[in-house]
Amino acid sequence: MSLAPEAAAKLTGRVLNIQHFCTNDGPGIRTTVFLKGCSLRCKWCCNPESIHPKPELAYDLKKCIGEKECGLCLKECPEHAIYVVEADGKVRINWDLCTNCGKCVPVCPPAALYQFGQEMTVDDVLAEVEQDASFYHESGGGITLSGGECLLQPEFSAALLAEAHRRGINTAIETEGNVPWEFFRQVIEHVDTVLHDHKLTDPVRHKQWVGVDNVRIKANYQRAYETFPAKTFIARTPVIPGVNDDEEHIRAVLAFIRPHKNVVDYQLLPYHRYGESKYGFLGRVYALKDFPSLPAETLRRLQAIIDEGFGRRPQGT
Amino acid sequence: MTMNSSARRIAINIGSGYLPGLDLVVAGAALAASELGLEIVGIRDGYDGLLYPERYPEGGTVVLRPGIADAVGHGRSLIGTAARTDPYHVRTITAEHQIEEIDRSGDVLEALRTAGVHAVISLVGGSAVTGMHALSVAFKLHRQGLRTVCVPKSVENEIASVPQALGYNSVLSHTAETLERIRIGAQDVGRLAVAEVPGQHAGWLALQSGLAALADAVLLPEIPYDLARLAKALAHHEDVGRRAALVVVAEGARPAAGLADHLPDAGGMRASLTPNADPALGEGEHVIDRRGATAKSVALTLQRLTDRDVLPFSLGHLVRGGVPTAVDRQLGLAYGAGAVRALHRGEDGVLITFQPPDLKSIPLVEALNRIRTVPPASELMQTARALGIAFGD
Repeated sequence: MSLAPEAAAKLTGRVLNIQHFCTNDGPGIRTTVFLKGCSLRCKWCCNPESIHPKPELAYDLKKCIGEKECGLCLKECPEHAIYVVEADGKVRINWDLCTNCGKCVPVCPPAALYQFGQEMTVDDVLAEVEQDASFYHESGGGITLSGGECLLQPEFSAALLAEAHRRGINTAIETEGNVPWEFFRQVIEHVDTVLHDHKLTDPVRHKQWVGVDNVRIKANYQRAYETFPAKTFIARTPVIPGVNDDEEHIRAVLAFIRPHKNVVDYQLLPYHRYGESKYGFLGRVYALKDFPSLPAETLRRLQAIIDEGFGRRPQGT
Repeated sequence: MTMNSSARRIAINIGSGYLPGLDLVVAGAALAASELGLEIVGIRDGYDGLLYPERYPEGGTVVLRPGIADAVGHGRSLIGTAARTDPYHVRTITAEHQIEEIDRSGDVLEALRTAGVHAVISLVGGSAVTGMHALSVAFKLHRQGLRTVCVPKSVENEIASVPQALGYNSVLSHTAETLERIRIGAQDVGRLAVAEVPGQHAGWLALQSGLAALADAVLLPEIPYDLARLAKALAHHEDVGRRAALVVVAEGARPAAGLADHLPDAGGMRASLTPNADPALGEGEHVIDRRGATAKSVALTLQRLTDRDVLPFSLGHLVRGGVPTAVDRQLGLAYGAGAVRALHRGEDGVLITFQPPDLKSIPLVEALNRIRTVPPASELMQTARALGIAFGD
């Protein structure tokens, strides 16, 4: 059952960020809306600030102007979670004590303390998204919902994408698929392109690296391919060196997707470490700190397997 | 106020990782409780015994009787440790197959109530990566109404207001012994050894073990170093007829501002929650566990600055095990008994600390968010300088 447009426009969701001019999140030039909250814990996650569903505190030590000049946050914190280090006179966060109440954020003049995530309505989001509307027409782009996992907020995501459709905007989502089928179904009706991850094939290794096995994820994808033959699906794998950069995984994904004509492509996303510093801002430890980059040759070899699987000429030749 | 008759059951747990002497705290608490007519139970593996009772067919808690004293001395913790137990962020897979970090502190408090436990003794200490995690968890449970007395344990001896945490003396002794072997071996073949010892936040262990092992130089987190100066100091040792053989480096030692190019890339991040992180060195991002890297980078640079063959070593966990020294045996028993006596006196929200010659209780907040570092002008530092030990400053 869908809401009346007026009610849907007022629905709120937990939004992490709206990123403009994205070229890797579906067709054309897109505006990607990152929602907060994820149901997986991939050790390589490059958006750690998107994982927890609620708004959370981050701290950039470089921006702190010190207790002598300021010290306002120390008076605000009710949890003993902020303290000063004598050596540089700046504050630090005891992340074990911080409850993400956010009271320190508005009083921090240099915004060294800030918060990831905010409540936004469907209207708020689309007002910002529509600023890029002229680019969509030329490029075939539109809005992409990403995360976190956008399907964990099914009412908001469905309302947002339905309203985008009503305004003539092309829609896409990026999902890892680990949600109840009902969430999937509810949102996918309003989606033109579904970018969906196949992280690891073996359920045991999937659990080791991602936190849960992939049994439900695969069942959801299978059901989605069959239930929505008119939708466009694009499979993707974030390729992590030593984790899933093997031919067996790529071939297994191809075997899974190729029987379905609505899965039009399989894309590889090479591992990068751009998210590393964000772990620091959140006081968390990055598990993959010593991981090497993905050799270009590996990527070429895996890409060639995909091209062969899709019966097309190898890319770049 | 003394404990009323209905409050006769207490519990003890080890809220962070292993070091020598934990069994003596447990035994000390069991013996003192028995003398005072209190019942005491040990919670297995931090808080896991309460959070996951299904994992413990023989029970998540174990009644500690005076006979437990017979089991000490084998270097085991008796009730298990849990370096990462955090009842406030328990990773859980929900019925909906979602991964969530759930606050289960309420379950801990409820399980304690059900077990008739009215107060908890928690062993807390620092971690190289996450800082004073266990102390913070104990503090939060205390603020939720759990009667709490903490006992300090530490490899670095960096807990504020605690001159001697449990385990430090044993680790110091093991470290000094190992360094002595390294020094003699290196001296004999004419090489210079660079040995990294635990100490992310404070340099007590590097300084005191370096003193004990007759090191030529010690690099501490408290004193940013200049390796060109250190090389000159080592050359001076040669000039006066002393063949330099051992440089002791704390894990958290770092170069002085502007000299970061002496170091290979540390990986961009370092030292989660380390109060010493220096933004001038690009260290603002808090998080990195760089254990093992410091000795290598210092050795590499010293090899370039001197004509010596340099050998890097990282002692790390090698010095955390083993049997406790006599000092830690006494201290462990005293801390265990002291915590029980404090609870019996009606104290709550305190940390027991040995401040010779007394065992005192201080409020938990006095130790929270603080690090006890080596004062550069202290007698210990002056002694070291008088002996010709260089600090690279």
